[in-house]
Amino acid sequence: MQSYLLRRLWQSALTLVGVSLLVFVILRVIPGDPAKMLLPEGAPPSAIEELNRELGLREPIWVQYGIFVRSVVRGDFGQSFQYRAPALRVVVERVPATIQLALTAMVLTVLVGVSIGVLAAVRRGTGYDYAGTVLAVLGQSLPNFWLGIMLVLLFGVTLRWLPTSGFQGWQYLVLPSITLAAFPTALVARLTRSSLLEILSQEYIRTGRAKGLAEPAVILRHALRNATIPLLTLLGLQIGTLLGGAVITESVFAWPGMGKLVVDAIFFRDFPVVQTVLILSATIFVAINLVIDVLYTVLDPRIRYG
Amino acid sequence: MNRREFLVGSGVVLGASAVRPTVAGAQAQPPRGHIIAGLSERMLTLDPANHYSISATSVLRHVYDPLLDVTNDDKFVPALAESWRPVNNTTWRFTLRKGVTFHDGTPFNADSVVFTLKRVRDGKLVKSFVYQDIEDVQKDGDYAVTVTTKRPFGSLPAHLTMLGMLPPIAAGSEDAFFQKPVGTGPFRFVSWTHGDHVELAANPKYWKPGIPKVEKVTVRFITELSTRAAALRAGEIHVIDRVSPDMVQTLKGTPGVKVLDTPAVEAQRWHFQLARDNVKDPRVRKAISLAIDRNVIIKDLLLGYARPVVNPVPPGLIGHTNLGQKPYDPEKAKQLLKQAGQSNLAIDFVLMKDLYPKQLEIAQAVAAMLGEVGIKVNIRNLEIATAREQRTAGNYDLFFSGWAHMPHDPDWYFGQWFTKAGAEKMTRFNDPKVEQLIAEGRVPDPKVRQQKYEEIERILWEDEPEIWPYYTVAIYAVSDKLRNFEARRDYYVLLSEVGIA
Repeated sequence: MQSYLLRRLWQSALTLVGVSLLVFVILRVIPGDPAKMLLPEGAPPSAIEELNRELGLREPIWVQYGIFVRSVVRGDFGQSFQYRAPALRVVVERVPATIQLALTAMVLTVLVGVSIGVLAAVRRGTGYDYAGTVLAVLGQSLPNFWLGIMLVLLFGVTLRWLPTSGFQGWQYLVLPSITLAAFPTALVARLTRSSLLEILSQEYIRTGRAKGLAEPAVILRHALRNATIPLLTLLGLQIGTLLGGAVITESVFAWPGMGKLVVDAIFFRDFPVVQTVLILSATIFVAINLVIDVLYTVLDPRIRYG
Repeated sequence: MNRREFLVGSGVVLGASAVRPTVAGAQAQPPRGHIIAGLSERMLTLDPANHYSISATSVLRHVYDPLLDVTNDDKFVPALAESWRPVNNTTWRFTLRKGVTFHDGTPFNADSVVFTLKRVRDGKLVKSFVYQDIEDVQKDGDYAVTVTTKRPFGSLPAHLTMLGMLPPIAAGSEDAFFQKPVGTGPFRFVSWTHGDHVELAANPKYWKPGIPKVEKVTVRFITELSTRAAALRAGEIHVIDRVSPDMVQTLKGTPGVKVLDTPAVEAQRWHFQLARDNVKDPRVRKAISLAIDRNVIIKDLLLGYARPVVNPVPPGLIGHTNLGQKPYDPEKAKQLLKQAGQSNLAIDFVLMKDLYPKQLEIAQAVAAMLGEVGIKVNIRNLEIATAREQRTAGNYDLFFSGWAHMPHDPDWYFGQWFTKAGAEKMTRFNDPKVEQLIAEGRVPDPKVRQQKYEEIERILWEDEPEIWPYYTVAIYAVSDKLRNFEARRDYYVLLSEVGIA
């Protein structure tokens, strides 16, 4: 286990270096000029040139990368071009809103998705099953943008039960997290249903029932636990995606999260902010995957890494 | 109550009664209420010299005062400068208002002006390039400043409407200063949650009597129009900017919501790449202009929320004169194309993606109109940074763009787009006669400026280096609880003189 962990950590470090190099090079290869985006349309070429020099973008690319790596090691991700403030500070400010939304959406996904999936599997072929399927199809096919706006118009504008947008308290979390959770909830529900159905037909389930175990114990302790493994893989990927920000949901709800930040930063060619967000989210992604792989061994003692 | 408390208490009462009469007479109401605005564009900085963002200008105008303000009918009026005059073509003298203090209590005086102007000239800030013509800034006593310039700078007062005055204490510790800035404005800065909102509180010692009207202003940044409109319709916010013509009916149908609009200081101007063989010939440009039915764009696509163009410069600004609308005459367009020997013309029409309302529909309509006269239009809807690179590289025939005259003065527009140096990497415009007139029009004398600009405009109107399809209209929607809100033609949302029921 220990050597496995060491190997995985080493691989993770390599992945991150690769990501940073890729992001760094791609940003500088795509067309677009940061100084031109910062200055108004009516700025003279000399001002654009001078600002680009000031931003350090007139150095050869490998020199820029060298400077970048040296600073990152010291915890300095450079100055945001747009905000003229440390990129790390700009990004970290968005972390609380991003995490709140991602976690709420995740909790919602697990609670609702697993419940629907279990109910649909256990009551296979009944109204519950069909209703679950309909919900799952809707969740996966309704565009986020449309769903978000409809929720805002219904609960915000017409009924006035909930605020339409912004980030100031728990009520503000309700609509965006429902919008964001719709798609992964549907995925989770479908996956739970199918893997639970497969397991329910296994012989050890029949054995469990034969020895007189109560149905809830059969489903929750024996069947669901085994159905959790593929679910965990899916959730690991989903939480990584959610933490990276949710551009559309953030736009609809004016939510100050990371997704909108990075998309704006890409449009405005704010290289330091893009680099910081992508490296941070790659780190989170890699870390979560590692944790999930370790969790497998906890859930299923037969899985061993050597 | 013990004796000490009593004395303190009576002191307050005496102090208050002693102060009251000096505050703008009896009719001045103390500030009351809280206005929440929803702006379309995020603010990136609190530094008034380091942005050209319209939302930042709006927000920061509440915190900092400039030397001059510009009214909605384009008049330049005193703010921190009580008066100003040109001493000669390259010297301006500003007389400053006395008795004004920054929010931290330090007095506003000539040192602030000298500091602010030298800082923007010498710094590497977004606005620096505009102030490069400043030679020197000298104080003349505590309340007068003389600005000398390297060449005539007639639009200096206009630019100064957009530059908030800073206290000299900001020097050397700018990062810390702009975390919690102080200005002389009607509101104090309270806090800024990046990407979300800014909080401002009334400045009780503001120099203008009876201003501000409300105790608190919150500005939220809501980039999505449908979200902004929903927040207004739900009663969460009181004013939104940048309403699109499509949204007007929905908002007008909402109880408690009013829609206000005004012709903006912005003219749409789609520029030609004048070095490209396709559109080099003025007859071709004229043909393209004749083939575009501007009224269809204004009526059918913009639902009437635009105005016909009668001059490259919108009405109200210095130099404007009515040159009459451009005709729509596809037959004549065909003749001109024939004369120019362009039978199979295809042009690239480049758009900056999602920048202007309805731009893609408008471009498609134009493509259909030009198709009628036998010109094939290749619409290239490119991401903004890419489009601007393509423009620098000269890879376009026609470029969809607008120009908002933010200082309410056309000098910037002319200097940028119709001088060799300015247009070199943009439109490749080069006309020594126009260049000469632009230089002559930079003097402070408004009569001379008017005359030179009219001359420039006649040349441009004839030569058509750009298509001017329409003047933009600025649309706002407000809660009917707001009192005295003015729909600004420069897109600002200014709340100092606005009250709330």
